[in-house]
Formats: sequence, C-alpha cells, structure tokens
Amino acid sequence: MSASRGKILVWDLPVRVGHWLMVGCFALAWLTGDSEEWRLVHVFAGGALVGAALFRVAWGLIGSRYARFADFLQGPRQALAYLKSLLGPRPEHYVGHNPAGGYAIVLLLGFGLVSGASGWLAYQEMGGEWLAELHELAVHAMLVVVLVHLGGVFIGSIAHRENLVRPMVTGFKSGDAADRIAGTRPVAALTLLAWASAVSWWLSR
Amino acid sequence: MKHLSLIALIAVSGAALAETPRQIGDAYAAAQGGGYRATAARGAEFFARKFNVSEKMPACSTCHTDSPAQAGRHAITGKTIKPLAPVANSERLSDPAKVEKWFTRNCKEVVGRECSAGEKADFVAFLAEVR
Repeated sequence: MSASRGKILVWDLPVRVGHWLMVGCFALAWLTGDSEEWRLVHVFAGGALVGAALFRVAWGLIGSRYARFADFLQGPRQALAYLKSLLGPRPEHYVGHNPAGGYAIVLLLGFGLVSGASGWLAYQEMGGEWLAELHELAVHAMLVVVLVHLGGVFIGSIAHRENLVRPMVTGFKSGDAADRIAGTRPVAALTLLAWASAVSWWLSR
Repeated sequence: MKHLSLIALIAVSGAALAETPRQIGDAYAAAQGGGYRATAARGAEFFARKFNVSEKMPACSTCHTDSPAQAGRHAITGKTIKPLAPVANSERLSDPAKVEKWFTRNCKEVVGRECSAGEKADFVAFLAEVR
C-alpha cells in the first residue's frame, strides 16, 4: 500500500506557532534576564513561555496525530537505536518527531515550566534566594537542551537529506499521502495565542 | 590525615558560605591593591551619585532610597526590595558570590561600566556602617 509520495501536512498550526513562540520567548527572556530595566519584558516573555508550554502539554493529549505524546514518546532504547542509526547508511525515518527529539520536547517543556514557576515565585517574593538559584539552574539546563536540540536538528537534516527546519515553518514534509494530517487547526492556534497572552498578563501582575 | 584535610575543607567551605561584611570589603580592597583603604564616606557618595546612564534608574538610591537601611522600591516593577544594609537585613554582605553577582549586574546598568574593586570596597564599607 505504497501511496503517492509528495508534500504532506505534518505539523499543525498550534505545533508551529507554539514552537516559534517558545523560541522567541526563550531568547527574549534569556537576553533580558540580568537586566532590571528590562525586568517587565523578561517577566512577560517568561509568562508567555509558560502559557505556550502548558498549551503544548494539553495539545500533546488532544492535538493532531504528530502533536500527540503518544506518537513520539518512546523508551530510551528506541531513542538510542534512532541515534545509532543516524551514523549508519540507513537512518530510521519518522514522519513526525523521532524518539530522541521526543525527549528534547519533554525536557524543554519540563525545564520551561520549572523555570517559569520558580521565576514567578521569586518575582512574587514567595520563598527565599533558593528560588532564584533554582530559576537560574533550570534556565541553564533548558539552554543546554536547546543547544542539543539544535545540534540534533542539524545532524538529522544531514542524515535524512531533508531540511527539518522548513517544515516547522510551513508544516509540510515529503511523505506518503496516507500519512498526512487533515488540517492546520487554526482555531486552536488562535486559542494558543490568546491563552499565552492571558497567562503572560496574569503571571506578570 | 584524611580526616584532617576533610575538616579543613569543611572549615574553608563554611567560611566561603558565610563571611562578614568586613571580610568581603577587605577582599575588594586587597583586589584594588596598592594598600587601598576603603572609606564609608566615598561609598555614601557613590550610593547617592547620579550616573544618569539609565533614564529610569539614574542612581543606586533611585531604587534603594536615600538610606540602605530602608526597604527599596524597584523603579520598573514597583516590587519591594529588601534593605541593603546588614543592620536591617542580616542576609546582606554575607555571601561574597552574591555580592559580586549584584555588583556585576547593577554596575553595568546603573553605572554603565564595571565597578572597580576600590569602589566596591567603599560601597561595602558604607553599607556595613549604616545604622
């Protein structure tokens, strides 16, 4: 049942918008982290990142096929097997996220939420200095995962001879028509933006 | 022998965790070199000086008020800032790493450059003697 190959929709809009929202918020929050003059921008960016991460957790349960945790969360053995296959002549191919990338997603969401929670508590002056230290630790851990993720995207793009960045913008990859998702889910994407704005506003009060 | 070095290590790390304002100030004065003698008066002048590098935070005193013994108010967020002077807040000037972290961050933004070790020594001397 080898259907026709061509450009197929893989990433829905909430996945793409959420991804780039997290990229922008992380960069902005990172750059403004040590500044008092930019403190409010830092808090707004962190708040929006928390909103995007929370939405992503929900979308991982109810989103379209490749957005779901069930599609890409696998055991560490599968992740290692995937990474090993990248070195060989026939790298394992996944239409959606590969199992190693799946771990990056979970870690980024986890560290993002811990960063946000500790940052918010410190900002509200609930708890002591240890919150600021936890905040810095979580943010640095997140940066490490971001860099590993970027390295993985670069290596994966070369191994699969497939630009893996462009689909995160356009939503389209090459594949079998049978593997495509039905739609871009624009209403959910608008909900994500409204929700992230609301969380950002609420957390920065 | 092993035990002795372990005890020494704990003593050293204990000292690194909690230092007196005097020790922290002395370390900055030593870093300035030339037998630098810190004075609280120079620290007080520095604390009140308008650097006017940042429009919203022209001086230390913009957020930290005229007296480091009082709670301050963040010029941007309006959040309360605990007093800088150890007399009002015993956590201040007890952790050299934290002191250096805040000098690094705030000097860059308010003074517009790194503060010299001598300026830090004066500032610490000023905070330590505020009543």
